Amino acid sequence: MSILTRIVCSTIVCALLIFVMNASEAAGHNHQATHQVMQSKKKPMPSCEGVKIICAKTVTSAFAPNGDLWRLWALDLSIYFQLSTDGGATFSAITRVAIDKEKVSARGENRPKIAFDKYQGVYLSWATPKEKKHTADIRFSYSSDYGKTFTKPVTVNDDNLLTGHSFNEMLVTADGEVSIVWLDSRLSHQLRLQGKKTNGSALFLGKANYRENETSFVNEQLANNTCVCCRIAMDYNDNGELAIFWRHIYGDNIREFALLTLAQGKSGQQEPYQISYDRWKINGCPHQGGAISINDKNRYHLVWFNQGEVGKGIFYAASNDQGKSLTKPVSVGMQSAQAAHPHLNTNGNNIDIVWTQFTGTEHELWHQRSTDNGKSFTQAVMLAKAFNGSDRPFIVKKGKVSYVSWHRPKQGHLVQAL
Amino acid sequence: MASSETRSFGASVMSFFNKLSCAIFIWFLLGTSVSFAESIAFDKAQLATVKTQNMGKQWLMLLWSVDCPPCFKELAIIQKLQGQHDDLAVVIINTDASDEINAERKDIIEKFELNNFSNFHFVDGKGDQSRFFIDPNWYGELPRSYFVESNGKFHGKSGLVNQSILTQWLVN
Repeated sequence: MSILTRIVCSTIVCALLIFVMNASEAAGHNHQATHQVMQSKKKPMPSCEGVKIICAKTVTSAFAPNGDLWRLWALDLSIYFQLSTDGGATFSAITRVAIDKEKVSARGENRPKIAFDKYQGVYLSWATPKEKKHTADIRFSYSSDYGKTFTKPVTVNDDNLLTGHSFNEMLVTADGEVSIVWLDSRLSHQLRLQGKKTNGSALFLGKANYRENETSFVNEQLANNTCVCCRIAMDYNDNGELAIFWRHIYGDNIREFALLTLAQGKSGQQEPYQISYDRWKINGCPHQGGAISINDKNRYHLVWFNQGEVGKGIFYAASNDQGKSLTKPVSVGMQSAQAAHPHLNTNGNNIDIVWTQFTGTEHELWHQRSTDNGKSFTQAVMLAKAFNGSDRPFIVKKGKVSYVSWHRPKQGHLVQAL
Repeated sequence: MASSETRSFGASVMSFFNKLSCAIFIWFLLGTSVSFAESIAFDKAQLATVKTQNMGKQWLMLLWSVDCPPCFKELAIIQKLQGQHDDLAVVIINTDASDEINAERKDIIEKFELNNFSNFHFVDGKGDQSRFFIDPNWYGELPRSYFVESNGKFHGKSGLVNQSILTQWLVN
């Protein structure tokens, strides 16, 4: 049978079927009308139109110093944002970050980052995929007027190589000192060119201060042989030093978490401390990073996920000596219910941990709190459900109140005080 | 209650006819002698079919993502083995569950010359559901290889599997 004959035959068959179906629909019209009335009593699901936030796979949220909640997402080669002055109950109209269009990594562990200084400065950082698979550049743009205008984006990684630079994290001090860390493949790229075998990426840091006209991000390598596809976490400690927490490769593909505090000056910690000892051996992508938050008296609080021979699931631990020694890791969530993607934050002596669980059909957002600086935790409670997939949950702070931010694609972005 | 069930039954019939008409259209349009294989949306029924089709032989179910560099290494091994051996029993499933990567997925399948295998992908927004019905004890780490015995018993392994193990399993 020729393709033309097939098309003619198929068109006739389809036309007949459509005729039959239309006749049936007309006959059943009254039933359908009743059904629609019944359905309208249910709360309608929001629809994905244009660049609305529910169309996004990931959302990033943060409170500005003035108490506004910013949320941003990437769609259609652009970054969009909205502000809320009432803790996430209502949001302003959608605004596009006014820069030229370019690709923005915004899936799974990768997403744009936002930070603020105390002078109305807004700082954005993201990864932009390049033409070759698994290559990207770390990008940065700054607004001195609270988001009305943004500087022309610059590339933070200074190697000018078509290789992997991704999983950027950013912190900005009140005075505008920018610190961006990311996973960088420049070393493995060069070794591969020499015909040598490589494993993993490297951890790099770039610093700048646009308020002080220090606009070139001088790159510094902090570690080598990191996992290539898990987000990084970082926080400032009491001394204003950066503490960075990431998934590292130890030995023969044992993927454990490592912690490095960058002392002011060169006299500090030289080698990262190994934090987890769960023995997850995998030559692959866990796609699950950790979280760190440091509160009073330099107590480091850490949460991570592993599926190792020794430890499986989510674990929490704290350290009073920057990770050199650790409290005994405690299990968080139900491993049998697929507990995953933990995040944590501290607020005074309160330690909040959120994570997701999965029933097989729905995602659940879970929370538990310690009010005694991590010594004990309340019983876990479920806060919300997602029906069309789930982004990672995050905890953001507004003064003494912590909020959970959880994006649910095709459902909505949840912001809730904890 | 009875009328609600009738309406629901009516809707199911209509939905069935809708799907049937499209299926017939596609079948007529393409014929049965298609020489290329498009990736197919993965669901429980597809999994059951794949299991049934491969019953009685050792086979491999390989799950991968466009965001997973080590996955590409395993796809490259399969490509290499395919060049050396006929009729490898491999089923390949992309786990991204995002329509945004459809073109990228297609490019990669073509780049690694995997069109001769059965290729599936998780449906947009249903990634974890698909993962769960394959294996509720798998957390989505990749690549994920299931070595399936001839009696249908699955053995899952996370991370890149080396060529000798894959050869040993697939080439009898």
